[in-house]
Amino acid sequence: MNENDERLIRCFAAVFPDLSAQQIRNTSAETSDWNSLAAVTLVTLIEEEFGISIGMLDLAELDSFSAFERYVSAKCAAVQAER
Amino acid sequence: MNLIDALETLKNPVKEDAASFSVHLACGFTPLHIETFLCAQLRKLLPLRDIDVSMGIYGDFQGNLERAASTKCHAGAVIIEWQDLDSRLGIRNLGGWREKDLGDIVRCAGRKLETMEQTLRIVAEAAPTALCFPTLPLPPLFFTTRTQASELELELRKMVADAQRRLAALPNVHVVSSQAIDEKSPIADRMDVQSEILAGFPYKVKHASIIAESLAALIQPRSPKKGLITDLDDTLWSGLVGEVGSAAVSWHLEEGSHIHGLFQQFLASLASSGALIGIASKNDPQTVESALDRKDLLLAKENVFPVAVSWAPKSESVREILKVWNVGVDSVVFVDDSPLEVAEVKSAFPEMECIVFPRSDYQAFWRLLQTLRDMFGKPHTSEEDALRSQSIRHAGEFRERLAHANGDSEKFLANVDASITFALQKTVNDRRAFELINKTNQFNLNGKRLTESDWLSRMNDPATVFVGVNYQDKFGALGKIAVLLGRKEGRAFTVDCWVMSCRAFSRRIECACLMFLFEYLNVDSVALNYKRTTRNGYLQEFLTKLLETDAAEGCVITREEFQKRCPHLSHQVIIDE
Repeated sequence: MNENDERLIRCFAAVFPDLSAQQIRNTSAETSDWNSLAAVTLVTLIEEEFGISIGMLDLAELDSFSAFERYVSAKCAAVQAER
Repeated sequence: MNLIDALETLKNPVKEDAASFSVHLACGFTPLHIETFLCAQLRKLLPLRDIDVSMGIYGDFQGNLERAASTKCHAGAVIIEWQDLDSRLGIRNLGGWREKDLGDIVRCAGRKLETMEQTLRIVAEAAPTALCFPTLPLPPLFFTTRTQASELELELRKMVADAQRRLAALPNVHVVSSQAIDEKSPIADRMDVQSEILAGFPYKVKHASIIAESLAALIQPRSPKKGLITDLDDTLWSGLVGEVGSAAVSWHLEEGSHIHGLFQQFLASLASSGALIGIASKNDPQTVESALDRKDLLLAKENVFPVAVSWAPKSESVREILKVWNVGVDSVVFVDDSPLEVAEVKSAFPEMECIVFPRSDYQAFWRLLQTLRDMFGKPHTSEEDALRSQSIRHAGEFRERLAHANGDSEKFLANVDASITFALQKTVNDRRAFELINKTNQFNLNGKRLTESDWLSRMNDPATVFVGVNYQDKFGALGKIAVLLGRKEGRAFTVDCWVMSCRAFSRRIECACLMFLFEYLNVDSVALNYKRTTRNGYLQEFLTKLLETDAAEGCVITREEFQKRCPHLSHQVIIDE
């Protein structure tokens, strides 16, 4: 597990407190507690945690843990490259 | 608080039998993170309560206020934004910003404010209510540049300020200070335009957190500190009085010692609102006496008691002052310019706030004043605040005379012209009684703390018997020094809360209270909802004497037992129904 993964799991765990780390990896928009409020809260938590800004318009594509994982990795890499 | 910290705070389970604490949050936007933050902040302030925040409907601010008025809850939290006064003051509605619309926008906002104010008065009658008026920047609708304030903008702000002023004067309303929000949250970092347009939530997360924290602090304020002990040299004044003499110590602009004058002025302000001010100094007592006699001192000598001056370690002087004040160590602040002295006092009293006076750092001094104001600040002042310092002096004199009564305390107590007034009228807005009930001192029946809403519901309950006790004797008036809440069922009385200020000890007032219950309420037994706490030692001792055994939880005193064991009482009793 890389460092980003751990931080992302912490964010997901705050929104889905009943899920294990393994279950969190498999979460998607199909998960029962995944609703618009959960999605907005997740976005805010991830923005806080990684210091990145997520466009609300990107939200439609961020529909699973793995989608967030890819998005965050790309954003962090872009921020690093800018530095 | 970050959002993740808030969510994690809320994940911690509350005790199954925790009493609920319900708050109705009224705002016109989607509450989203505000609700999470408010809930988490209240959980931190009320760890033993099960916090429940209820909300209204998006876009219906007035309706949500009316729902708050009709919902039974422990407290209300109301957040007003510009768009709640007129939708054209927001950015989610397109209603026209033409020059000719502006006057109408301001007039509509004024009418909305009036309606809102009327509803808020009803909301606040039912439960204590914390209010936050607009904190977001106004949209750029006025025709002036943003640097120039237009007349209409100022008119709008004046209407809001007037409404705040009127509401802040109500007993159950607490208005969030816009200055406090300005200090913590730069105005340019408050509004989240994207979130407002796409999700209907107008705040950036940090700003939401600050607003929720402010509302929670007004719903459940922390207990203010009671006393401040200050050093003298290079703290209350500039210079070492023992070296330069009493005429040469200074606190004026011309001598470059102005911050010491400001500090004196601040301490005088604290004293006038009921804080105790004491002095602990390593000096020669006579030299200090002559400096404290200076007429240009901004802190009047009579506002300071006691003055502990000696060459002993500072912690000994502090101990002496604490003994006279008879207050908890954690309710006192110690200020001294010497980090060494501060460390010495801190090591003797780890629970005390000990602060270094920053004599050469003006900004740090400014922060010190702000910190002290937050530590000592209280929502209201009462008549007793003005009496406190004087009555502590009198209490000292009383104790000294009693100790020197050569074993004839009966004779001494019979000759102090003591008079006790028992007031039975329930006044919801009796701030002093509410303050007393929440004292965790040596004479607190069970240490149970009441929130403002618990207090309101007790006072509004017809079954509650309220007894407020005022005392005075020839040494002076102590003001309202005890409060008792209970219920009468037939010929039995149950005391739920009973707290007495430590200034009133040694006067047999506690016996007079029980006598009053037996005689005036005509009951045969008094059950005490008593619980031993780490602090109520004086009460434990009193009950042990009265019951002739260790007091147990829920102990009962019968009329016969009381009559047999009650010492002679020579107070004049006045009953104010």
